Amino acid sequence: MACFERASPALKDILLKQYRAEKPMEIDHHLYEFGSVEYHIQTSASDPYHTYLSISTPLLSQGALLSHGLSHYTIEMVKGVSSDVMEIVEPAKEGYQLTLSINFDKIPRGKDAVKAITEISSVQAVILSSQLKEMLQNVNSQVTFQGMYKPIKLVYHPREPFFVIRQPQKIIAVFPMRFKENSDVIIATAFFQELMDVGSSQEWAKVPPCTWSPIPPPELRGELFEDLSTNGGFVSFEISSHHVEGKRLDKTVWSLLNFYAYVKYHVKCTRGFIQRRMRKRLESLVEVLQKASSEEKKLFEKDQDGGWKYIRKLVSLSKSKIFKRRYVNLSRKIKRLRFRIKIHGFGRFRRRWLRFPKFSSSRGYTKLD
Amino acid sequence: MANTLRLYLTCIRNTLEAAMCLQNFPCQEVERHNKPEVELKTSTELLLNPVLICRNEAEKCLIETSINSLRISLKVKQSDELENILTKKFLRFLSMRAEAFQVLRRKPVQGYDISFLITNYHCEEMQKQKLIDFIVQFMEDIDKEISELKMSVNTRGRLVATEFLKQFI
Repeated sequence: MACFERASPALKDILLKQYRAEKPMEIDHHLYEFGSVEYHIQTSASDPYHTYLSISTPLLSQGALLSHGLSHYTIEMVKGVSSDVMEIVEPAKEGYQLTLSINFDKIPRGKDAVKAITEISSVQAVILSSQLKEMLQNVNSQVTFQGMYKPIKLVYHPREPFFVIRQPQKIIAVFPMRFKENSDVIIATAFFQELMDVGSSQEWAKVPPCTWSPIPPPELRGELFEDLSTNGGFVSFEISSHHVEGKRLDKTVWSLLNFYAYVKYHVKCTRGFIQRRMRKRLESLVEVLQKASSEEKKLFEKDQDGGWKYIRKLVSLSKSKIFKRRYVNLSRKIKRLRFRIKIHGFGRFRRRWLRFPKFSSSRGYTKLD
Repeated sequence: MANTLRLYLTCIRNTLEAAMCLQNFPCQEVERHNKPEVELKTSTELLLNPVLICRNEAEKCLIETSINSLRISLKVKQSDELENILTKKFLRFLSMRAEAFQVLRRKPVQGYDISFLITNYHCEEMQKQKLIDFIVQFMEDIDKEISELKMSVNTRGRLVATEFLKQFI
């Protein structure tokens, strides 16, 4: 149930290839899908016009398990799918619950061919939903066990069982929600609260009332502790008879079967959305700092530009001034050349530190004998 | 902007302006070492008294100053579980990309959600006023971003719930 499409995309692809092939091909494919679903597609050289499709799928409820695997209602539902193109082969291939023989010659040409193959690819969804349909069709029947309405545990995935409880005039579907991460629990909880809010509004009065509670509902009293230990609480839908009338039955069944996948997909998408938004925000936050850094650089460059301008000013002096400066520099150099000892900067040092103090006394100097 | 938030941010801005007088100062203990004193805390004479500015119990800002560095630690408000995970996710996301910010600390100070470390070198590279502007704007943006994210998550949830319930009609 990882994808919301009823038809298996891989199976559809293989069947379409086989149908479009100019010469019949010999194929032997094993396909495994999410939810322990297995397909075996076989076409032999001896019988190239018949393709055998065997399906193994876990049953929703162990109560529905019969000697040959599928209930009479389910078999009837499967027979209803493209009845002129495929037939049920009895007995089914060993290890599979159902084997179908598909005759590609009987598939109508044109656009209807794709439609027919899509229908054949959705046989597993038909098997799965027929079991729940059977339960929901009996909304008004009252089955009590010791005065209680016994919940029926439906297991599609070992970690994701859900319960259906038949009550007078309604059926309650309870989904114990489990998530791996704490953040997922919080996102899902926000979703459940919105689901409750939307469902309770007057606009949506026709949809099944939805409730979410962190503790198990009283209808599940007596169930195994491991089934009732959740971190995401329990979501319940109250299905009444008008939700399963005519075409609505199919929609209701598919919505309930897909509820887990729907919630998990929403959680996954929300996490992706948060991540995308954070990445975008990071860029705008970093931009502020980068601006500060670049402005500082600009200021630095401006200072440098100022220095060059000053030099350019010096360069653009008049010719007479330049000659005068050159003359002064030359005369200084000649003076320096006349000194016996030439130490760079010594003159300045001598003037400052080697100045001998003048001793002057009013009495004058008197030599002592 | 709410009045209380404006006062809170102005107070932080003023404190930062006063505190951000950093200068190059080599380590006194180890020769040829130049480390942020606010992190090492080797010489007490180089540290100033830390300033704690609180808007309320859940929102506060700690400014620790030393001669060559400044550490700013922020605690962001988280009123419910959704805000809590959004804040954690966002600040963790930023901390993991700390190199992009230069002044962001990879690990926040204990008891706070995010910390910045500004050294004298940062002040030399960037303008002091711009750094302060960045810190204040960061605080404003974080608050705004988290409340916007929360609203978006709830809106998405509502839309998805509507789409799911449409299937029953």
